[in-house]
Amino acid sequence: MEAGEEIEDGEPSTPTYKAHHHPPHLPPPMRSSGVSLVLSVADLVLRFVAIGGTAGSAIAMATTSETLPFAAPFVRFRAEYSDLPTLMFFVVASSVVCAYLVLSLPASVVHVVRPGARSSRAILAFLDTVMLALLTASASAAAAIVYLAHRGSARANWLGICQQFTSFCQRITASLVGSFAAAVVLVALVFLSALSLARRA
Amino acid sequence: MSGSDTSGSVHVDGHGHGHGKASSSYDGAGAPAPAPAPFQGHRKAGSGSSDVPFLLRSGGSGGDGLRRCLGLIDFVLRVAAFGPTLAAAISIGTSDERLSVFTNYFQFRARFDDFPAFEFFIVANAIAAGYMVLSLPFSAATIMSSKATGVKLLLLICDTIMVGLLTAAASAAAAMVYVAHEGNLRANWVPICLQFHGFCQRTSGAVIASFLAVFVLMVLIVMAAFTMPRRTHHTAS
Repeated sequence: MEAGEEIEDGEPSTPTYKAHHHPPHLPPPMRSSGVSLVLSVADLVLRFVAIGGTAGSAIAMATTSETLPFAAPFVRFRAEYSDLPTLMFFVVASSVVCAYLVLSLPASVVHVVRPGARSSRAILAFLDTVMLALLTASASAAAAIVYLAHRGSARANWLGICQQFTSFCQRITASLVGSFAAAVVLVALVFLSALSLARRA
Repeated sequence: MSGSDTSGSVHVDGHGHGHGKASSSYDGAGAPAPAPAPFQGHRKAGSGSSDVPFLLRSGGSGGDGLRRCLGLIDFVLRVAAFGPTLAAAISIGTSDERLSVFTNYFQFRARFDDFPAFEFFIVANAIAAGYMVLSLPFSAATIMSSKATGVKLLLLICDTIMVGLLTAAASAAAAMVYVAHEGNLRANWVPICLQFHGFCQRTSGAVIASFLAVFVLMVLIVMAAFTMPRRTHHTAS
């Protein structure tokens, strides 16, 4: 509407503000306003928290190994995470999410500096959702198996192995905590991305 | 038959249904003016002043037709995600299999409440199915007004929560189904699917349906993120 009018005068024009309908009291577009700076910085901080959670739980699960001191002819008395394929999936998925979060740190820093980048923020929100689904899937599948290890199932005649392998069980239970906390943090990251997309700039 | 196009310059016709005032506000107005006018134009057949189909109208900003199209797809996908979640909850809830073999030591009956993961699965899928139905009016509201940022943000947030919940339930049930199919050598867990064929088929199908619903929900989140309208605190000029 005003873009055509101001060029008609013969004087040197500063078209940028008027053409983009900015009233004069707003800061120039490169600097972010207070709230979107807070949102972007919170996004960065939460990414670090989620990196810590996923890395911690992957490492805690992968270093489990317990051998009982006695032996019997038919039963093996050694428990590792790789004996249960679901726990293996958990370690792999946690590592993948941790690597993704590390690789998305530069994008998050760019969003702090340039708050107007909408497409990259939307792509990051989409990838965050995919990683949230992957992390939640692996964490809750591992939780189902850990529950079976604790309680067993009376119907299916599955005995809970935690009666013998106590420290193994404690470790795999504790490593789930970090993973679920990281999943909650990922949900918060998607919220922050959505809030930033819905703001004006 | 005025042959109006989508450029916003709509002329009133002599067949005068009183569309003149509504149509002349096409030229620079925001969302509320185009929203009632297309409906009236669509229903009164042969009214002439607007015989452009609903999806191709452009209101205030360009690309509004695309936004309405995506809004309709959003609505349809919500209806589509309701089916698998409800079906999964019902099919595991009605799973009960008794074998005709009988011994003193082994119980030959399998039901969903023998496994807490399946109980969680039923509850979570029922919640997700109810959420799909309840979010339909909100989705319709985002189609009607193209500046409904708050509603769209609310839907995106609730969709994200639902993705987390549904994925957790579906994958816990999938872990149980995996152990039931394969067993585990180290822990001496016998695969029960060798005897309980029907139970295993039902639970496997329900888990697959639930993962389909998760995928549909993720598509909904992506669409909402990419078409999120900006909230304008003050109008231009």
